[in-house]
Amino acid sequence: MTPRRLWLMLVAVALIVAAAVALGREQMAAPAIVASMLRTTLQVATPLTLGALAGVYCERAGVVNIGIEGMMLLAAFGGFVAALAAHAALGDAAVGQSLAVGVLAAVLCGGLAGAFLALLCVTYRVDQIISGTVLNVLAIGLTGYLSRQLFFQTGMPHAPGVLPTLRLPGLADLPLVGAVFEQQPIALAALALVVLTHGVLFHTVWGLRTRAVGEHPRAADTAGIDVARVRWVNVIVGGLVAGLAGAYFTLESVPSFEPLMTNGRGFIALAAMIFGGWTPLGAWAASLMFGAAQALQINAQSFGLAVPSQLVGMLPYLLTMLALAGLAGRSRPPAADGQPYDPHEADT
Amino acid sequence: MRTQGGTRSTNGRNPGRAASRTAHAGHRAWCALALALVGVLALAACGGTHGAAQGTPGFRVGLVTDVGKIDDRSFNQSVWEGVQQAQGEVPGITEAKYVETTDPKDYEKNIQQFTDANYDVVVTVGFALADPTYEAAKRHPNIRFIGVEQVLARDDQHPDWPLPNLVGITFEDDKAGFLAGALAALTTRSGTVGAVLATDTVPPVYRFGEGFRAGVRYANPSAQLVVAYHNDVGLDRTFTDPEWGKTTANAEIDRGADVLFGAGGKTGNGALIGIVERGKWAIGVDTDQYYTMPEAQKGLLSSAMKLLQPAVVQLVRAAKEGTFPAGTFTGEVALAPFHDLDSQVSADVKGRLAEIQRGLTDGSIKTAVAAVKPAS
Amino acid sequence: MAQQPTILASEAAPSPSRPRARAVPVARAALTAVALPVLAVATALVAGGAIIALAGRDPLLAYEGLWEGCCASPRALSETLVWATPYVFTGLGVALAFHGGLFNIGAEGQLALGALVAAWLGYALPGLVGPLPAVVHLPLVLLAGTLAGAAWGAVPGWLKARTGAHEVINTIMLNYVALLAVSYLLNGPLRDPNPLNVIARTPEIALGARLPRLAPDLRLHAGLLLALVMTGVVWWGVYRTTLGFAIRAIGANPAAARAAGMPLGRLLVVTLALSGALAGLAGAVEVAGLNYRDELGFSLGYGFDAIAIALLARAQPLGVIPAALLLGALRNGAARMQFLAGVPVDLVVVLEGLILLFVAAEVLVRRLYRLPAAGPPLVFTRGWR
Repeated sequence: MTPRRLWLMLVAVALIVAAAVALGREQMAAPAIVASMLRTTLQVATPLTLGALAGVYCERAGVVNIGIEGMMLLAAFGGFVAALAAHAALGDAAVGQSLAVGVLAAVLCGGLAGAFLALLCVTYRVDQIISGTVLNVLAIGLTGYLSRQLFFQTGMPHAPGVLPTLRLPGLADLPLVGAVFEQQPIALAALALVVLTHGVLFHTVWGLRTRAVGEHPRAADTAGIDVARVRWVNVIVGGLVAGLAGAYFTLESVPSFEPLMTNGRGFIALAAMIFGGWTPLGAWAASLMFGAAQALQINAQSFGLAVPSQLVGMLPYLLTMLALAGLAGRSRPPAADGQPYDPHEADT
Repeated sequence: MRTQGGTRSTNGRNPGRAASRTAHAGHRAWCALALALVGVLALAACGGTHGAAQGTPGFRVGLVTDVGKIDDRSFNQSVWEGVQQAQGEVPGITEAKYVETTDPKDYEKNIQQFTDANYDVVVTVGFALADPTYEAAKRHPNIRFIGVEQVLARDDQHPDWPLPNLVGITFEDDKAGFLAGALAALTTRSGTVGAVLATDTVPPVYRFGEGFRAGVRYANPSAQLVVAYHNDVGLDRTFTDPEWGKTTANAEIDRGADVLFGAGGKTGNGALIGIVERGKWAIGVDTDQYYTMPEAQKGLLSSAMKLLQPAVVQLVRAAKEGTFPAGTFTGEVALAPFHDLDSQVSADVKGRLAEIQRGLTDGSIKTAVAAVKPAS
Repeated sequence: MAQQPTILASEAAPSPSRPRARAVPVARAALTAVALPVLAVATALVAGGAIIALAGRDPLLAYEGLWEGCCASPRALSETLVWATPYVFTGLGVALAFHGGLFNIGAEGQLALGALVAAWLGYALPGLVGPLPAVVHLPLVLLAGTLAGAAWGAVPGWLKARTGAHEVINTIMLNYVALLAVSYLLNGPLRDPNPLNVIARTPEIALGARLPRLAPDLRLHAGLLLALVMTGVVWWGVYRTTLGFAIRAIGANPAAARAAGMPLGRLLVVTLALSGALAGLAGAVEVAGLNYRDELGFSLGYGFDAIAIALLARAQPLGVIPAALLLGALRNGAARMQFLAGVPVDLVVVLEGLILLFVAAEVLVRRLYRLPAAGPPLVFTRGWR
């Protein structure tokens, strides 16, 4: 992950915003378009950033995690149900507390999903892609099943709403970029986590151990690091972060749960992680890029773009594929990424 | 594929003991297998004959949904609630059940669940079920079929239409949309109004949206209008994508819209939430969303309603009482009351709306909206 | 790294690292190999029953409904077979990809495109070139669908060969792209122009392009026979041809295969293309045998279903048939289960996930029932490279 690549991604974001301005300048003033695009980009990039960070935690320790989608879905559902229950118990006066309970529950659900994945991948050494697939299928099935079984008779109960938008006074009034400083808590938490993850991964002993385990588990083991434990912890932490992403869907975006509401975002987050070179900053920049593409797609219709909206809808997915194909050079994954580690196996 | 190598069962202990343990293990495998098979057979054998028609005491109503499932807070759910309402209001209805369709190839099979069990009324939801419902109605002349949003005509595919035991409910969604559009155009302060809808390939949605457009133009030709249809996803998501609804509503508000129409199941609901959150006015759809979306009450101006439940209740009652109307039944449409925002709507506007409503009813005002989106 | 082909334990030569293989008699090994999936399914059913009970419904009634819906009458059996037919094709496709060490989750998009192209040729071709006899039209239609699926599968294969991009994400992305493209075409250029038609679907295909039904009054069609034939073809192809050998070689050890002179890149493309071809054929068969047109359907999760089937079958072509029947039975019976017991049809997805879990984490099943290892476990991941 070179600084050059990082700048390239941010330039891509700028280009996409410029494209939006070019498209819409008949209908709207350019500054308004920029502000709108930035606001939307940051919003939709939030789950991608968090998902990509979750991936970074897992994969830096050597565990391929394609189950991020499932983790998000489980957390979205679990958090939503917890918020509903808290709201029913505490009443309308305690909406904030209900939402907080929901976020906490969502993060815990993500952590549980992470533990499940760790059990399969690290302890039982089941193939990691299959484990991730199992997690995804179970998540889709369980959330779909439970949401229908619990809510079908009475319809979806009255949700406590969404997390409030926080304004940083002064900064939020800036002309173009003011929208950046007017975000909901999880979006801000995502930004904080990017910095935090970067610090942990590259400036702490734990991060060093993690990366050692991900690059050469045999050597790490010889040096006295408990490979399994490091992987377990990292996968659970990844799950917690993915849980926060799940909370975004049902507690920050819209106060309702839909089966399959993550809609492939977990996989796009994986692509962001790969394109970002398995680094937190890179993951964030790549998520911004994909988020900008999605924002453009959302706005394209209201700008009167004459292209059929199904074709515009392909934009985020095609961009993901292009990014993966190494538009800006290849990324290098951690050397032992994806290989189950057996301490008793003769070295290969 | 690669192997991970290594063996885990014996860790290199005495192979002889391993072999005998294997023998035990193999024996246990047999036992486990046999047990599993016996269990499955027992389960199947102890099943009774639920499939046979139970003698029909009382009057039973069945519902087959379209692939949208029952709890999408819109179409399928409205119809289900109508059926439940009928069960409550029409004396003599003993049972109401539904089956959710998850795949279009299951339409016939799901209708058969009810016809096999000799239900008295079968309600099917959505235009995609029009043909299977017609076929079933032909095959079971003693069962009444209510097809919601299914408009048929006598043609090569339906030579026997109208059938005495089949009625299709339809609504003039374009008129409801027209009223909503007029309302928006008359109450906007910024001069821009917006609409966020599910896909326009679904006829009611198309009629709502284009009716809205026509209504805006009629009431205030100088108003700016932004309309967004959720065509960029498949049918499985277009009604259940509240996130898109909210983000798109936000984008339209950024363009200056201050009164917006949200239509299309949960997608529309997401839009309503986004609109109200930004402090703008919203118009809901299908039912009076003041009651189904309490979180949007403070900004909900009105809803473009199609009175689906009353229509269902009426037809089920007619089936029970023997006055079942065949052919097509056109339900009513109306604008919901203004509720919390009533004081903010001027008497002038209310007067104009009443005028437009009269014009629509007596035909002097035409929406000029096609029944379905013309093929491109 | 000591690498050996894993899918067939009986194929791998005994070696110092696998003394087990010598100790277990072949018959018992075969029995355990069959017992594992069966026990995995049984365990999944029990676990599913527990979930149903926890949610407040009657599991026995639910399973009774499942049984009735899938197997208790000729029509039920016919519908199960109707469901299983595309599953056989897509399961074979994914199994083939597994042999090449590749993960094809794109069955859904490949199937959708295959169905669309088949339907288009089915209704449009006579208009373009004149009336066609069935012996020409039907094979053309099926072939077209197959080729469409092959092309869609070749794309991620080519991307992997050229850029190393992992096929897991690319096939999933292409699923979305394909479904959007199909949606656009079905609502636009390919839509049934009959003014009374309000649904996004093609006109009906010509009579000459249809697969015959196998029984009057039932929807069972000749596609099932074709599926059985393809099972044999794939089995023969994988185990009895040089191409199959090459595919298995790149699956077992790509570095060694390349060192031995095999064209790795080309093989990657060919493997995924063949995998996609089978999925495309599934779509074409659905159009030609069941619906006689292409209609905008739903995202069924064919992709994950096919993976579940291939894993359950341990990537054995012959094992795909019972696995496809099982999943077809579950999907078909779900509606009856909902009717009788009020259990949402999504439970079937939960069951599928549990079956996948117990098959993949066979160590759980082995511990539960104290079975020996039937062979080395399945491992596909090579990380993102």
